[in-house]
Amino acid sequence: MLPDTFNEQMTAVIQQVRRSLVQLTNGQMGSGAGTIWHADGLILTNAHVVQRHAPQVVLADGRAFSSRLLATDETLDLAALAIEAHDLPTVELGSSRSLRAGDWVIAVGHPWGVVGVASAGTVIDVGVPVELPRYPGDLIQVGLQLRPGHSGGPMVDGNGRLVGINTMIAGPQVGLAIPLHTVKQFLRDRLGHANKN
Amino acid sequence: MSNVLTDLSDTLANTVAAAGAGVVRVEGRRRIPATGIVWSADGLIVTAHHVVSRDENIQIGLPDGRSVNAELVGRDPATDTAVLRAEADGLTPFTESNKQELGVGNLVLALGRPGKTVQATLGIVSALGDGWRTRLGGQVDRYLQTDVVMYPGFSGGPLVDAHGRLAGMNTSALMGGVSLAIPTATLARVADALARDGRMKRGFLGVSTQRVKLPDDLREQLAQKSGLLIVSTESGSPASAAGLTLGDTIVTLDNEKVRDHDDLLALLTGDRVGTAVPVGIVRGGQVQQVQVTIGERA
Repeated sequence: MLPDTFNEQMTAVIQQVRRSLVQLTNGQMGSGAGTIWHADGLILTNAHVVQRHAPQVVLADGRAFSSRLLATDETLDLAALAIEAHDLPTVELGSSRSLRAGDWVIAVGHPWGVVGVASAGTVIDVGVPVELPRYPGDLIQVGLQLRPGHSGGPMVDGNGRLVGINTMIAGPQVGLAIPLHTVKQFLRDRLGHANKN
Repeated sequence: MSNVLTDLSDTLANTVAAAGAGVVRVEGRRRIPATGIVWSADGLIVTAHHVVSRDENIQIGLPDGRSVNAELVGRDPATDTAVLRAEADGLTPFTESNKQELGVGNLVLALGRPGKTVQATLGIVSALGDGWRTRLGGQVDRYLQTDVVMYPGFSGGPLVDAHGRLAGMNTSALMGGVSLAIPTATLARVADALARDGRMKRGFLGVSTQRVKLPDDLREQLAQKSGLLIVSTESGSPASAAGLTLGDTIVTLDNEKVRDHDDLLALLTGDRVGTAVPVGIVRGGQVQQVQVTIGERA
């Protein structure tokens, strides 16, 4: 039987990771998501969410900041933003390289503009999806539903540790996330480091 | 407090990793390869008929990374099942799931290997039911529907329970995209027949029929409401050889009731091919038995 602690731990992980989930808005319809990487205001998201314009960043506590676009890579679909803020709640890092088919993961974001929505599922595979051969790296393929507004938000493991950035879908029932190892490489290449603190 | 979420995660991932030893890649069509189930240590592979579009030049990707040739042993489109023989031995077949244990709501995993690694989707058993007959007349031992996502290349792959035991073969081709599994018992029956004969034998009478209501007195006498009126017979067929003719109404075959087409199809099994069985007909208002030697459907 599934123990009662399952629900408690799901709730705890989701509450924890929501603190590091931000909204990105450009004053127009729709909003994307972002993930706080560094306590001093480094935010990760997808390149397709920012589209070359630094968006406004709304934290989980409601504070809003204008942002600066630090780096963007449209091929990898990653972007880094900076806001003038400190002591932000960051999400602990997990290991995307040790993910296996069957692993339980949780994604949060703002699908269709609904803030802080959580979904969970199991890893199908980490690699190049057969139907998306053009992406230049591995993708975490998960049996869960991502929708517009999830993009840029965190995907975490059962310990609430970051393993990827929600990015796109492969059909209505399969979500794709950019694995943490690709994110770190992007930050090293573009900012010279991938330090979290 | 132990972490239930990571325990669940590890349990599922360990199940997938262990069961992956019985999951192979099947390259028998253009575009995306599909998946097969290791059926015997000496190379028998069970997969879906619809993913093997060619009869030759079939490759099997083994769990250890090797790629080997395979030949088509036989196929049964009616149950969407095909059997291949890979040029390999020392493979790891599945242990069978205890049929009684699987219930609606149970966790199940669909496994696939369209690439090098084993992939998995998680779901539950959505519906279980009695035996059913596919559109092409295949007899499936029970209805087994799940909500696992059929990721590209998953057809022909195993459905396993939470312990990694084989419950059936996933296919999305039999019922308009619904995730159905052909249960292990059916796979065993079909695989045995294909390995032995290279094909599924199906019985053949050679009649065209229409379902008709029986007159009241016959309904009581036979304890059935309908039968099959013969509207034509094929010349040279088992039916015409036995003297069955236009206007006869078939009511039994081998002492089993024939009320409609499904009954007749279900009774024209492979093991009756070549045997003489009594066929009960209504002729001139009287019930009589005619011996018919069942032929084999081409």
